Amino acid sequence: MTTKVINTGAVGLKKKKGFFRTLGSQYQLMIMSVPMLLYVLLFNYAPMWGWVIAFQEYKPELGLLNSKWVGWDNFKFLFSKQDFLLSIRNTFAMSLINLVFGTVAAILLAILLNEVRNKAFKRTVQTVTYLPHFLSMVIVVGMAQNIFASNGAANDLLVGLGLVKEPVFFLGKGEYFWWLVGAINVWKEVGWGTIIYIAAMTSIDPSLYEAAAIDGAGRFQRILHVTLPGIKSTFMVLLIMNIGHLMEAGFEIQYLMRNGMVQKYSDTIDIMSLLYSFGARPQYGRGVAAGMFKSIVGIILLFGANKIAKVMDEETLI
Amino acid sequence: MKKILAVLLALAMVLALVPAVMAEGAPELITVTVFKGDPGDQPTEDNKIYKLIEEKLGIKFEFEFLAGNLDETLGIKMSDRDNLPDLFDGSNSAEMLEDGGVLIDLLPYISEEKTPNLYKHIYTDDRIKQLLSEDGKLYIIPNYGINYNQEIKDYNGPAFHIQKKVIAWNNYQVPKTVDEYFALIEKYIAENPTTEDGTPYTGFAILCEGWRHFCLINPVQHLIGRPNDGEVVVDINDPGYHTETFIDKPYAKPYYKKLNEAYKKGLISRDTFAMNYDQYIAALSNGTVIGMFDQGWDFGDATNSLNAAKKYENTYLALPLLYDADDLEGIALPSADWKVEEHYVNGSVMNKDRGAGISISCKYPERMVELYETLLSDEWQKILQWGIEGEDYYVENGRMLMTKEQYENRSNSDWQRANTANAIWTSLPKKQGTMDDGNAWSPDQQPEIRNEFRSDYDKDFLAKSGKTDWIQFFGPVTPLAPYGEAWEINKGPIQDDVDAFLRIQDEQLPGIIMAADDAEFDAKWDAFVKEVAPYGEIYGKFMNEEILKLVALVEGK
Repeated sequence: MTTKVINTGAVGLKKKKGFFRTLGSQYQLMIMSVPMLLYVLLFNYAPMWGWVIAFQEYKPELGLLNSKWVGWDNFKFLFSKQDFLLSIRNTFAMSLINLVFGTVAAILLAILLNEVRNKAFKRTVQTVTYLPHFLSMVIVVGMAQNIFASNGAANDLLVGLGLVKEPVFFLGKGEYFWWLVGAINVWKEVGWGTIIYIAAMTSIDPSLYEAAAIDGAGRFQRILHVTLPGIKSTFMVLLIMNIGHLMEAGFEIQYLMRNGMVQKYSDTIDIMSLLYSFGARPQYGRGVAAGMFKSIVGIILLFGANKIAKVMDEETLI
Repeated sequence: MKKILAVLLALAMVLALVPAVMAEGAPELITVTVFKGDPGDQPTEDNKIYKLIEEKLGIKFEFEFLAGNLDETLGIKMSDRDNLPDLFDGSNSAEMLEDGGVLIDLLPYISEEKTPNLYKHIYTDDRIKQLLSEDGKLYIIPNYGINYNQEIKDYNGPAFHIQKKVIAWNNYQVPKTVDEYFALIEKYIAENPTTEDGTPYTGFAILCEGWRHFCLINPVQHLIGRPNDGEVVVDINDPGYHTETFIDKPYAKPYYKKLNEAYKKGLISRDTFAMNYDQYIAALSNGTVIGMFDQGWDFGDATNSLNAAKKYENTYLALPLLYDADDLEGIALPSADWKVEEHYVNGSVMNKDRGAGISISCKYPERMVELYETLLSDEWQKILQWGIEGEDYYVENGRMLMTKEQYENRSNSDWQRANTANAIWTSLPKKQGTMDDGNAWSPDQQPEIRNEFRSDYDKDFLAKSGKTDWIQFFGPVTPLAPYGEAWEINKGPIQDDVDAFLRIQDEQLPGIIMAADDAEFDAKWDAFVKEVAPYGEIYGKFMNEEILKLVALVEGK
């Protein structure tokens, strides 16, 4: 909603004032944004000089200026390696799983909480579900490894219910890895994800619900026709942002859960980048090249999603 | 009155002198940062040995221990070249430090006049020839493996291990081959499926995590009669030192076939392949794992906690297993005249490239070399290894001995933190073997102490086995090959191929062991060999070249 308000304002101003007049009239805002601008320049733009390492056979003792230039060799190496190509697939697969299930779970839980009338119950559930967000991934993965072991709780449950005959080897089969990561992420982040949707739902005008109720809409119809359209703009903005982050499948969880058997499914671009950069014989150039590839794809995805949203006449981010 | 005054005056003068003398005695106090490439415990603030070092040598240590992955941690530390730790111990990846150029060359600092102890340490027997790196420099003085007088052998290396109580249960008959070994485990579990408290036993555990995957990938070389050469076997009778990787050869298949059978019988749990090191140590410490292939030092923590809990019967006996003759029928070995004879224990190896080097950002390299030199003196070595006379040991008829309490203190980690300088001692050059007066340099190797302070269980176990020490379960010590042990060779130039070689094994060997039937096993094995062999080819060829270079160096050609 806010985006639109500022846009109309800007359009109104444009007719009379030029860019600099606008700038001058908003100088308080400009001063306030200077620290953030500096922060971004210093920590997000300045380190990009390091990208030149991607085109070097970088040796720390020689430094950026004296290391050997190798052109596109590092990229050629990466894209000739099956391990790296698989890591691109893994990164996308796990991000998509996280995105789809994370969002769906968060919206579902938010709707349920929104429908609960008992304040105490609602607050308790909300707190309990978002507490795992604050747990360290090391602890979460440790718990998951116990739960999903052959003699762990998950297998006891499945076997006990008669769903499977033999315990499932969750931790040793590559095919399960993505879904385990997805499940753990949903468990850890679902409560946190609901906060923004619940906020969006509270801003829906209560008279809409009343009107719908008078028109004879039941609870499910009210959810379908009032609540969901009410959070659509929030959903779209979050979706665009998340698509920009599709290359970020997480790092800790895969790194902690991986083992030799599942490496073809577990290793994301970040893990490959780490292995190349700080392995037995450090190849920083390859690590940086992998990271650079990731960033560039991320930017393309973000602009792409934004463009599509624009075409579809939805809320846009940029 | 005058007298009293004179006395007081004299006293005042003496007192005034004391600080001056002390100031002269101890050099300026410096704080030295030390990075250890292994996890460890911080010493206590008032640790008595560090206090002594601080008093006498004016050096205070600040330790940082490894927490996480070694290679990655080293990589990150090395990238900040102006703030390297002063003493840098890269543990099993110290080659990274040498290749990365973060250590100084020690040679210019070492001479017969200025550092007689160090000079004797590394120049005796032409040791220096083996210690120099390819560029002719000396970055690290080995932390272990240089013996004085008589070498006392204590085997802590690769072997098949089995809980002592299983051997006792078997009337002290030890298995000699892999077949006998797994048969014994199977028989034991069939009769004793669970521990006293009802936890089911695991027959055989295989640790596969990170660089410790040698438990999974290394055993075959020993089964055909070679000591630890890492991932290759070397034919030492061949003048050309024929070298090949063994995991992709037909003689590796029978071992994994046996593991597959053990798996199908339920002796191996599939969770072992997803286990990390902590979980492994926890399982061993519980006494629920009957056996495993590993190196004694790799599960020292488990042994310590079993001993501390007085579960001596659950501690492990190391055994030198071989293939049965009929395992290898019709299978070509590395050479036509190859003999499968037990060869687990090598003569001592200098732990080349292991220990602490001095970093290029260290401000006091001379002081550090002086520290190495001083601590290598007989006087300090006694303090570092035995402790303080009267407190940590006593001397009777010239023999250094310990009371029960003194001895037990040594394996108590809380006591260690306050009373030993192990954190620094383990990284520095040290004297091993025996002192000039015949006492052992290490209390753990002093025969009187070994015998006196074994648990009654162990004494009884050895007596019933007809042995006096654990090493006697192994064959005679074989002289070390001229190139040392091949795992020490730096594989930097072919690292990409080595990485691929190891990655394929990490990924596929568990699946091969878990194969459901013979057809699946064969199919998986063939696919594995096909995939891994090209890298094995490169690896074997490279190692052969490096071994020949080392042999030429040692033999002075």
